[in-house]
Amino acid sequence: MRFLPIIGIFLLYPFLRIFLGEYMTGTPFTALDSAFLIPLLPIAVFPVIAIVGQLSNGEGWWRDQFKEGGIIALCTLAISLSLTIWLAIEFFTKGASFHEPLEWGLFNWFTFDTIGQNAAGDWVHIQVSNSIGVGIWIDNVSMMLLFVASFLCFLICWFSIGYMNTDPVNKDRNHRFYAEFVLFTAGMLGMVLADSFLWLFIFWEIMGLCSYLLIGFYYERPSAAYAAKKAFLTTRVGDIFLLIGLLMMYDIYGSLEFAVIFADPSMGGSVDVSMLRWSLVMLFIGAVGKSAQFPLHVWLPDAMEGPTPVSALIHAATMVNAGLYLVARFVPFFDVTSHGHGVEGLSDVAVLIAWIGGITAFMAALIAFVQNDIKKVLAYSTMSQLAYIFTGLGVALWFYNHGEHHAAVIAFGASMFHLFNHAMAKGMLFMASGSVIHEMHHAHHHLAHGDGEDGDDSHDEGGHDDFDPQDMRNMGGLAGKMPITATAMAIGSASIIGLPLIGGFWSKEGIVAETWNAAAIHGGTELLIPAFLILLTAGMTGFYMTRMWMMTFAGKPKTEFADHVEEQTHWIPTPLVTLSVITLVGGFVLAILGATYWLGEAKALGTLVHEHGIVLAILETLVHAFLPTDPFLFMVTWITITISLIVGPAMAMRIHGGKLKDGDRAPQLISWIPLLSSKFGRANVDELANSGLADALHRRLYFDEIYEWAIARTVIPLSQALTWFDTKVIDGAIKGIESGSQKISRDVRKATSGSASDYILVAVIGMFSILILLWGVI
Amino acid sequence: MIPPMYLASLGAILFCIGLMGVFTSKNGIIVLMCIEIMLNAVNLNFVAGALHYGDVTGWVYTGIAIAIAAAEVAVGLAIFLAVFSSRETIDLDEVTLLKH
Repeated sequence: MRFLPIIGIFLLYPFLRIFLGEYMTGTPFTALDSAFLIPLLPIAVFPVIAIVGQLSNGEGWWRDQFKEGGIIALCTLAISLSLTIWLAIEFFTKGASFHEPLEWGLFNWFTFDTIGQNAAGDWVHIQVSNSIGVGIWIDNVSMMLLFVASFLCFLICWFSIGYMNTDPVNKDRNHRFYAEFVLFTAGMLGMVLADSFLWLFIFWEIMGLCSYLLIGFYYERPSAAYAAKKAFLTTRVGDIFLLIGLLMMYDIYGSLEFAVIFADPSMGGSVDVSMLRWSLVMLFIGAVGKSAQFPLHVWLPDAMEGPTPVSALIHAATMVNAGLYLVARFVPFFDVTSHGHGVEGLSDVAVLIAWIGGITAFMAALIAFVQNDIKKVLAYSTMSQLAYIFTGLGVALWFYNHGEHHAAVIAFGASMFHLFNHAMAKGMLFMASGSVIHEMHHAHHHLAHGDGEDGDDSHDEGGHDDFDPQDMRNMGGLAGKMPITATAMAIGSASIIGLPLIGGFWSKEGIVAETWNAAAIHGGTELLIPAFLILLTAGMTGFYMTRMWMMTFAGKPKTEFADHVEEQTHWIPTPLVTLSVITLVGGFVLAILGATYWLGEAKALGTLVHEHGIVLAILETLVHAFLPTDPFLFMVTWITITISLIVGPAMAMRIHGGKLKDGDRAPQLISWIPLLSSKFGRANVDELANSGLADALHRRLYFDEIYEWAIARTVIPLSQALTWFDTKVIDGAIKGIESGSQKISRDVRKATSGSASDYILVAVIGMFSILILLWGVI
Repeated sequence: MIPPMYLASLGAILFCIGLMGVFTSKNGIIVLMCIEIMLNAVNLNFVAGALHYGDVTGWVYTGIAIAIAAAEVAVGLAIFLAVFSSRETIDLDEVTLLKH
């Protein structure tokens, strides 16, 4: 029953096509014509949910039929998703490629003239009627991201209806959540569709705002308010640099539109290379802030203060990909092969990108080792995986700038493919962790308050005792109690670790192999350290993801609450199952279809299958992945597989593994994992866990302390000095004038009678005196 | 036709009468009436000027001044009502708050 409106919405496009196209105008109506609706609809729905929610808050029909706005948001996102799918169908049937993107100028937003100095130094109009237009730019990368964003937003909205509306803490304020949620979605979809850097920036900022609002959803909690502020200010640092970079870009090209800039980034060889280099570095710093990379990564772990669907949506699946998307747009600047008009001498920017990626990947994985909060582990894992993609992009840009087209295409395609796999897997992992937290909270609530009906007792607000439903030390043995969640979590972790044949394996192998290819075979010695770091990180990923799964799902329950957990909330399992299937099968299917090449150089999907038949295509893909012809790459591939699949997980199992409680049964698909983990014996790591290194990792390598110290030494003294100036000098002068005139008027008042006629008399005498004086003068 | 000079003189005399009234009378209502006399004296001056120059502007100003005077009287009376209700008097010599 509840699926009916959603199915109906998928018919919207054929309706538009028939009604608007053939009936109204008589010309065929394409999905591209309605693409602007994809971001526009959520923007239009945002005030509707916010206002209607505020007006009818607490009323039965709003809470039960509309789920406090959740149903409206879900229908809106379903429309966006259906339009995206129709657009994708059209994109594939039209066969647009990277170099011929579908592009559609809608109308001019505004036009303006430019003033500048001519040769003689006079200020004149140098360019008349620049225009800033509104349009849509779709190529393979944005098509993929558009699908990822709209699909995940839809599923996470679905999940939210189960997660948010059943938690009494959120009672009567979920409309705020859903309103901000759809606005955020609009930001992401708009950013992906933007056809100029300016619109990209505008939607980028909308996302930043929504991120701030959603992290601070529980604003009454000081930690959430602090986290929201921190996220906003940290990304602001990056955004300032992004803005500077865009202004420099405008100065170079006289336009911010992709079509103008990408037509010939070298401007026939006359471009100012050092200016362009700095501009790209500035844009990259913006991307670093948004994608939470070193050194602007400090906001992401704290952002887990937001509700779990927000963590899933913003801080894993979509918003953090914005930075990657921006960097992926750098390709035309770097492409000096015969396919592009790139600028030579930019490879140091590419090296910078790869270095930042390598450092972040390693550092985040290291910190993830000791986190006990299930969401924080995932947060650091997100940072680490995004850093993989940054490294891959850096390597791709490096290859492009050295004219190695084939290698560049693979590195770029693998990075983008990893983005896809990671978004799907991490969105699901966060939702699964949300499911665990939700049920832990529920079980604790149930036990701690007897048979209290959830939903209505108002004393259950906030943390009433120090039980933390997110702490993995309170969990354990949940595999038998939450079969769907445990399976989803296992599949997601496998994808992140890179278990062969599952999602993330294909792309991660590509990134690691291409980085080593650049560093060792193509003589990019400056890339050696990032290459080492991401190879090491592959093993560390195996450790911390396994550790998280083991602590949560394997072994005996560590608290009585964990023993009473049940999987019972509606709306939650559906997205988990959907994404599990996609992660488990989708990566493999897409790899066979050649997603890497499709993303990298717009080779049509399924070329291999078309040429050799399905069996040979599968074989060839497998051989290509596992048995590279180059002996060095062969070695790298197998080292990666070994350490990420055997060394890391085995160590984690030794420490945290164990059989389930007697009588509990894990679902068939994963029941071997707890059994296997109990075979490795136990390792005691108390000594290591109490060492200084572990302490440093617990304190997140002191980044927060360092930043706070730096701010205390620079910004705060400056602001104190400015405060002193403001209160003493500026306010002092104004207050001095005020109190001085008060004093004068008090003195004057003593000399007057207070009678109105006396005042009039004096005024008349004064007037006549002036008249007489004037008469004398004239 | 009455010469404009006569009208202007009458206006000047009326103005002085009104001014004198404002200075000397203690009752607020009478002060208000004196102000009206002054206003109308000025209106007479306008009319005289209009007559003298054959220009319609003066008459228009007169109309505006009369309308504003009506509004002003309403405000003035309202003020005296408020003063009376708080002090039980409208004797202007007793309303000397500005001194304190």
